[in-house]
Parts: sequence; structure tokens; C-alpha cells
Amino acid sequence: MTINSNLFTIANSGVTASNTLLSTTGRNIANVNTEGYVRETTQFIGEQHGGVGQGTTERVLSSFATNQLRRDTTNVGELTSFAQNTGNLDSILANEANSVTQGMSSLFAAIQTAADDPTNLPSRDLVIGQTTTLLGRMSGIGSYMDDLQRELNLSFDNQVQRANSLIQNIADLNESISVVSGNGQVGDPNVLMNERDLNILELAEILSIETRVSQNGTGAINVSLSSGEALIMDTGKFNILQMSSEADLNFRTLELNTEYSSTASKLNTSIHVTEENIGGALGGLFKFRNDVLEPTARELGQMALVLADNLNQQNAMGMDLDQQIGSDIIAVPEFAALNYIDNANLDSEMYGRLTPGASHQLIDSDYRITILKAPSGGTPNTFDISIDALDPDGAPTLDEFNNPITQTLTVSAEAATFTPVNGGIELEFPSGNNYVVGDRFLIQPTRNAATEITMATTRAEDLAFAAPLRAQESINNLGDAKVTATIVTNTSTVGSGQEQSAFTSTKALQTATQSPDPVLGPPTEIRFTARDAYDVLDANGATIASVTGVTSLDNLLAQAKNDGASGWPASFSALNDYPGYDVSLQGEPRANDSFFLAYNLNGITDNSNAIAMADIQSKGTIKISNNSTGQLATLHENYANMVGKVGEAAGRAQISLEAAEVMKTQSENWFDSVSGVNLDEEAANLVRFQQSYAASARIITTAQEIFDTILAAVR
Amino acid sequence: MRISTNQIYNQNLRAILDNQSALSETQMQLATGKKLTKPSDDPVGAAKVIRITEELDKITQFKRNNDLLQNSLEQQDTVLTSIKTALNRARVLTVQSGSGVVGVAERQAIASEISQIRDEVFDLMNTQNASGEFIFAGYQSQEPAFSFNYGATGAQYTFQGDTGTNEVKISDSVAIQSTSSGQDIFENVFARKRFSLDSSSGMTANSIDVTKQATFDQFHNTYYDPTNPTNNQFEMRVNGTNEIEVIQVGTGTIIDTLPFVSDAAFEYEGLELNLTGTPGQSITISLDPPVKRNAAETLNQFVRSLTDATISDSDFAQALSDTLVGIDNAANKIALESSSLGARMNVAEQINTANLDIEIANKTARSSIQDLDYAEATTRFSLQETAFNAALATFPKVTNLSLFQYI
Repeated sequence: MTINSNLFTIANSGVTASNTLLSTTGRNIANVNTEGYVRETTQFIGEQHGGVGQGTTERVLSSFATNQLRRDTTNVGELTSFAQNTGNLDSILANEANSVTQGMSSLFAAIQTAADDPTNLPSRDLVIGQTTTLLGRMSGIGSYMDDLQRELNLSFDNQVQRANSLIQNIADLNESISVVSGNGQVGDPNVLMNERDLNILELAEILSIETRVSQNGTGAINVSLSSGEALIMDTGKFNILQMSSEADLNFRTLELNTEYSSTASKLNTSIHVTEENIGGALGGLFKFRNDVLEPTARELGQMALVLADNLNQQNAMGMDLDQQIGSDIIAVPEFAALNYIDNANLDSEMYGRLTPGASHQLIDSDYRITILKAPSGGTPNTFDISIDALDPDGAPTLDEFNNPITQTLTVSAEAATFTPVNGGIELEFPSGNNYVVGDRFLIQPTRNAATEITMATTRAEDLAFAAPLRAQESINNLGDAKVTATIVTNTSTVGSGQEQSAFTSTKALQTATQSPDPVLGPPTEIRFTARDAYDVLDANGATIASVTGVTSLDNLLAQAKNDGASGWPASFSALNDYPGYDVSLQGEPRANDSFFLAYNLNGITDNSNAIAMADIQSKGTIKISNNSTGQLATLHENYANMVGKVGEAAGRAQISLEAAEVMKTQSENWFDSVSGVNLDEEAANLVRFQQSYAASARIITTAQEIFDTILAAVR
Repeated sequence: MRISTNQIYNQNLRAILDNQSALSETQMQLATGKKLTKPSDDPVGAAKVIRITEELDKITQFKRNNDLLQNSLEQQDTVLTSIKTALNRARVLTVQSGSGVVGVAERQAIASEISQIRDEVFDLMNTQNASGEFIFAGYQSQEPAFSFNYGATGAQYTFQGDTGTNEVKISDSVAIQSTSSGQDIFENVFARKRFSLDSSSGMTANSIDVTKQATFDQFHNTYYDPTNPTNNQFEMRVNGTNEIEVIQVGTGTIIDTLPFVSDAAFEYEGLELNLTGTPGQSITISLDPPVKRNAAETLNQFVRSLTDATISDSDFAQALSDTLVGIDNAANKIALESSSLGARMNVAEQINTANLDIEIANKTARSSIQDLDYAEATTRFSLQETAFNAALATFPKVTNLSLFQYI
């Protein structure tokens, strides 16, 4: 009946459809450079009564490609931030100007040069100079790592802020999209969806996330961390991330703040998020901090402490150019314990320091000290604590049997009383009764040691290159026995108590009145009474001990001490290490041969302690594994290990990054190949839709002509 | 596969950037000559390089130590050679002074020459090194090793240092003694071993002399007892069968029985005895405590004997023997020390050679880990250059293709 009107309608719908197609093509061409733009196509369905129906414009998207791209972006984000930071640290360690190993070689070479001429002040000065340089290099690397930690904290803040604003954006977009798609008048929410996808991709670069389309049909997308914690929920509510710290304020951890609705019965709370699994750029930063930066800083600190302790200990076994017993060359700092923020009493204090001479037990762990029992209040004021070794990330350090390294002991809460604990450190508890059960403290013996050790002396004369003891055979000896070694093990000049030795601060051995025995002085002469028997005499010629049946001429004083029948005074053997020296001979002594032991007064040309000091270089001094019976490594080996470990991490990260980038390129290609705009395709479409438009327009003129023909026929 | 326009650009851009970074890496290697520009290039190799470099640094220091050691040993050797030459000259003069034709005036002349030699020896024993240290004074090298004290009643030239000796490390495991103490090489020299005639019960000693000093020294060494003086006394008793028994007084043991003819000389343990006696009679001699005397003091005492106008012939003969034996003993000790110095120099030389070998081996090892193979790197560089050029050249060609240019 209504052919013409029908034809008009059909033509009209065709023109409109072509118009829509052209505008879709135009939009595709216009947005060819828009980030996150997904190409659109418009689909039509034929009308039942002729003509073409209203078109729907949809984005051409493969959700597989999108998800794959998101995952690969997360991977690349994580590996990029990890590889970049590790690579930086790697280059710093490799830099020759910073090279600790070169500094150590120079130091020990200087000690050997000085040993060749022990009274030469310029060569002694060189030793002091090289020590200062080495400490400078260590603290240079140490403070670089400190700066890196500060930078990391800033990056954490930035990334968390960006993640939070993205989370909020996505939540907002979810809402807008549901409004737009609920209201058919406004059209398709494609632009909003593009923007949301872009935001999700950006969030994926920071964190590893999972997405899920909401079940309630609003078109909203729910986002959660890959570890399961929800970020954006169905209700439109969202949680945000924040940084916090437990004890070490510079060591930040990640938390998720829940935002339940105000009417919910549940209270808002903060959930700790495992940094290991967070993924993305943020995860890469955490991984770098926990696996590379913090362990390396501790290893360097451990090395600094071991070097300082060994030099100090060896120096104390010698006599310096002022003819005094050597003192510390390097000052080893005390470290304060950090309060955990949830402690009941935040004012109680605790200090720790390296036990002198115990650096070979030191490991690169932190320790958490927990108060198990309140102070007794008595004298001494004792209480119980437990000490747990922790890795930098707060996980327990494991020993060779995979058991946590832990120790429980009773200590006294007195100022200036240091209690030695496992691991070569000792602790002081000065806060008396103020310790509360359950309170915890964190000590980091090695974390900052590399930057905190300083020179204790800059006087070249303070280097103790000579042995403090001189042992020599009497000129009247008839036998040919000679002194082969003088051994010095204890040079404490305290003069009383368990620790005392026969050495004094007055450039002499103790006299009979100063010694711990009421009558006898320290041994100063060994006189053979037969070829296999000797007496140990003091300076007054009184017999301290008599040994018979001698089969070895090594450590003659120790033999006298250990021989129950020798008469070695109990007042000597009760002490830890008295007199603190010993002597070994070689050859055939005859009766009446004497060997004299004396303070090495004026013996400044002696270089034996300098040789011992130079030997530190090739001696195993540092514990590299937590194994309780583990072999000790030399300082150089340890540094080489440390550089090797960081290098290995950097190398591995670089390779993984390259692989991840290839994967990401693949998925980008996949995504682009589905959703990207191809200008040639659009050009072809342009021509095609132009023609369909022209054709539809031609239908109108045809309908017009038909109408005119009919009109003319009836006229 | 469908390709989007952005893909074409991105792909080309990526190709260019990748090529650029590969080129820059190779360029860096070529510029530094090192294969490893950072530890992550080869973590295991980097750790190895650190250890090898430490080894090499140590060897450099050991080589320097070795030079110093050799210098110091050579200086000591020179000093010892000079002392030995001086002592030889002194010995010739001593022998000369014992000849019967030398009169009092000649003795004076010889005395003045020997005193010169004494001063020379004294000076050499107090040799100083370049830093002014007295090399034979032990650890107390700021003071002279030997002092001269004119007023002393006993020895005028005495050692005042100590027995300390230093060592120098010339490899990880070898430290070599670099100094010697004057006590060991000059002071610890035995003077001639002597005996005294103690007592006699009826027997007359016509003469008792040491004719074979070495044999007597042996006897002295075997029997001298520093703790029990009576063990040093030996009674020679004629028994019933015209033999003479030698009895150690302290123990009462008969240590020897010899045939005995009165008034006839016989030899026993380096001694030549001529005794008059009948069975039952005896004579007792005792071994004198051994004395140690340095060469300067030996010469000094001889100078005093030479200038003593009233000295008896027998006393002078004793002094002459003392001096000859003293000089010989001192020369022996020095010869011993010289050979020890030589041995130490040999060891030092050998270790030095070993160190040089190790150095070359280590340098080769380090080079193979960290140094660049230039041939390979330049080839790689030109390959990468070609790829880069290709990427640059194809970029405009691909991007110029567009349908829009044809409609």
C-alpha cells in the first residue's frame, strides 16, 4: 500500500545507517593515536518491514588478549623496577673507585711495607691512611645503600598514592558506566570503558591484580589483589593501601585499609599485605629491598665489623711505637635497639655491641628480643628474654637444619652490664624495672655498621707492630735450643679480676706484688734442670712450677699449667688466661740453660705483630653461612661473594626482564591486532560507506521519481 | 593476521631501539677493552676476577718485600765478608807474633795493627742500615749492638741488644728471617776451652798442654757438667800394674785406663801429659767453665797481651792459643751465618720466580675472564651496525605505504 513511504523509510534508514558507519570510521581514524582507544564497529540488523534497524556500536575486544596483556604488564613492571635498582647497585659495587676489595689489598700491602721497616713513620702513616680510605669506601657504599633505601621509601609512597588514585578512578568509572548503560538515551559508555581499561592496566603495572565482571549486571568490574584481598567491591566500596612500619621506621611495610560501610557491624581495620606476592612495580621494589638491598647492606656491615674487630684484636696483642700495649685502631659503634610500635612501654631502652674478639660468630641477621618475664627487682635485677634471629624481611633466620635460630636466657637489667649472647654480640638493659612482658625490641648489629665505624686513632705511633714480650736465650747457655715463637694471647692491663694478664700499662710485666699470687710474680725465666726438665721462675728467682719428663718444647708455660704435678699456682690457673703469654723452643737444651721472658722494652724494631696483622688478609675471619660449624671465609672471598650475589641477581633480573618484555610485546601485538585501528582498513571502509551513503541517497531520488511518475500519470 | 597501524610504528621503533642499545653495549666494550662492564655480565667471573686481582695485588707486595729482603740479606752478607777478611788478616798477624824471632818492638807494631782490626770489627758489628738502625742489635735497633766499656773488669766489648729477629713475608706461606742478632752470630762464640791443674797427691806434672784442641773440645763437651763441679774433676791415678786410671771425681767412675811410663809424654783426649809418679800417686785436673767471647774482645785481649812487656813466655803462648782458637771459632760462626744467608737468598730467589710464574698465570686467567676479544667484538659491532642500518632504512618505506595516498 505504502510503497513510496516505505521506500522513503528504507532510504532514510540506509542514509542514517551509512552515516553512523561513517562516523564510527571517522571516530576510529580520529582516535588512531589515542592511548587505550579500542576500535569500534557498528552492527546493524535488517528491519522486518524493509530498511535497516538501529545500529549498535561496540568495541572490538578480546578479553583473553586484555587479560594476558594485563598480566604481562604486571610482570614487566615488577622486573623493570627490580632490574633497574639491582643494576644500579651492581654498577656501584663494580665501580673501581669504590672497590672495597682494592682498598683492602692496599691496606694489607701497606701493613706489609710497614712491617719491612717497623720504625718508619711515613710507612706507618700510610697504614693509617689506607685504613681511613677503606673505611671511607665502605661507608660510601653504605650510605649509597642508605640513600637508596630513602629513595625506595619515596617511591613506595608515590606508587601507593598512584595506586590509590587509580583504585578510586576505577570505582568512580564503574559507577558512571552503570549510570550511562542504564540510560539508553545517552548512548554507549565505550569511552568510559576505554578509560577504565586504561586505568586497570596502569594499576596492573603497579600491582598484580585480578578482575571480574560484576554479577549484578551494572557492567562494573571488581578488582582484587592476586593474593585475594579485594580492592574494589560489588558495592562500589573500595579499599586503599598505605605504608607503615613495625620497629625500624625506615623499613616500611604495606597495609590494606578496609572501608566497610558505616552501618556494617565490622570495624574498619588494616590488613598486612605480603610484599613478596604483591607483584608489579611495587612488588619489584619490595623484592629489591628485601632480597638484594637489605641483605647486601648487612653483609657489608658484617664485613666492616669483622675487619675492625680483627685489626683491633691483633693490635691489642702487640706493642706500639710508644711501647704501650696496642689499643683500638677502629672504633666499633654501639647500636640502640628499636622499640616495636605496639610495645606497652615505648620508653624502655636496650643497647647492643659487638663482643670484642667474637666477630667470627657474627651473622648478617637482625635480632628480635622479646621480654618473657618481668624484672625480678632484686640484686642483680634479672629477667628472661628470648632472642630470635631475623632475616631483613622479618622472617626467622634458619640454621643448617632449617630450624629458626633462637635463644632464651636470663639477663640482668643493669646499666653498663653487657651480657654476651649467641652470634658474637652482647646486650645491655639499662631500663631496670621498666621492661614489660611481651614487649619486643629489634637490634640490627650489621645494618648500619659500614657507615658508622670510624677511626679510633689517627696516630701512626698507635699501630702495635712489635710483640709486647721478648723471649731470649741466655748467652751462657751450653745447649743449642733457641726460641722459635713467643705467643701472646692476653694483654689486658686491667690489673685485677678474671681478665687480667701479666702485662701492665707501665711498660713492664707485673711485679710479685701486682700479680694475683700473694708471693709469686709472673713467669720471667725458664731454666732447664736437665735436658727434659725445667723450672719456671719469677723475676725474684722464686720457682713457680717444675716440669719433668718433657717430650716437647712447645708452649712451655702451658705445659707447666696443665701438668698437675708441676705446682703451678692455683691463683694463676683460676684466671681466664694468665699470664697471657707463652714460649716455644727448638733444639737441645742442657742443664742450667736459661730462657728469659721480659716486656719488650725498646724492642720497637720487632715486626712480628705486624706480620700477624698482615696475615688477617689470608685468614678465614668471616662467617658466610648461618651454619653453626660453617667454614670461615676471608674478607676478600666474602666481598667477592657479595658482589657475585648482587651481580647474579642483576643478571637474572635482566634476563627475566628481557623475556617478560618479549611476552609483553607478543600480547601487545595480540591486543593491537584485535583492537588497534588500521588506517588502510578505515580508508577502505570510508570509501565503502561513502558509496552506501550515496546509494541510499539515490533511493530517495528514485522514490521521488516514482512518486513524480505516478503523479504525472494521474494528472 | 590483522596488523594495526600503531603496531607497524611500534614494531619499527622497537627494532631501532633494540639495535641502538646492542650497539651501545658493544661500543662500551670496545672502548674499555673489557668483556665484563658490570658484575651482572658474568657474576661468577666477576667474583673470580676479584679474587685473582687480590692474588695479583698480594704478589706485587710480595715482590716488593722480596726486594727489600734481598737488599737486607746482601748488606749483612757484605758485612760478614768484611769481618771475615779482617779476621783472616788478624790471624796471620797473630801467627806472626808467635814466631820466635819477633821481639818486643815488633810485638808493639803488631799490637797496633791488630787494634786497628779490632776497631774495624767492632765498627762492622755495629753496622747501621739506611734508616740508621743497628742491624745486629735485635729488636732494640735504636742503640748500638755492641758497646765498649774501658773501665770494665771483664770483657770490654759486650753485646747489649737482644736476640730478636724479624721476618719478611714473601709468599702466603713463606716468611723468611730478614735480620740476625749479634748475640747469635758474634757473641755466642766459645773461647778456647781450658783446664786447670787442681791438686796433686805425690805426683809431679812436668808438663800438661792441649795439643789437639778439637779432641780436647770434644772431651770437654762430653764431660762438662754445669751443675755439679766435682763431675768436672778428673783424677789420674797410677795403679799397681803401671797403668794410669782416669777417674771422674764426682761419680767415682773409671772412665779410662792407659799404659803409664813415668817421665814419658803420653796423649790423652787432646792433652799431652808428662808426669812423674809411682803407683798410688795421683794428680787432679778440672775442666774450666766454657767462656763465650766475641771477636773484638778476643782481639782486644790479645792486644793487651802483646803490649804487656812483662808477660811470661808460657802466658803469652796461652794467649796466642786463645786468640787463634777464638778467631777460628768466630770465623766458623760467621761462615755458618754466611751459608744461612746464602740459603735464605736462594729461597727468596726461588720464591720470587714462583711468584712471577703465578703472576703470569693469574694475569692470563683474569684476562681470559674479563678482557675483550677484539676480533669477535669488531665483527659483532659491524653486524649490529648493518642491522641498525637496515632498520633505519626500512622504516620510512614501510610507513609510507598507505591507502589514503591512493584515494
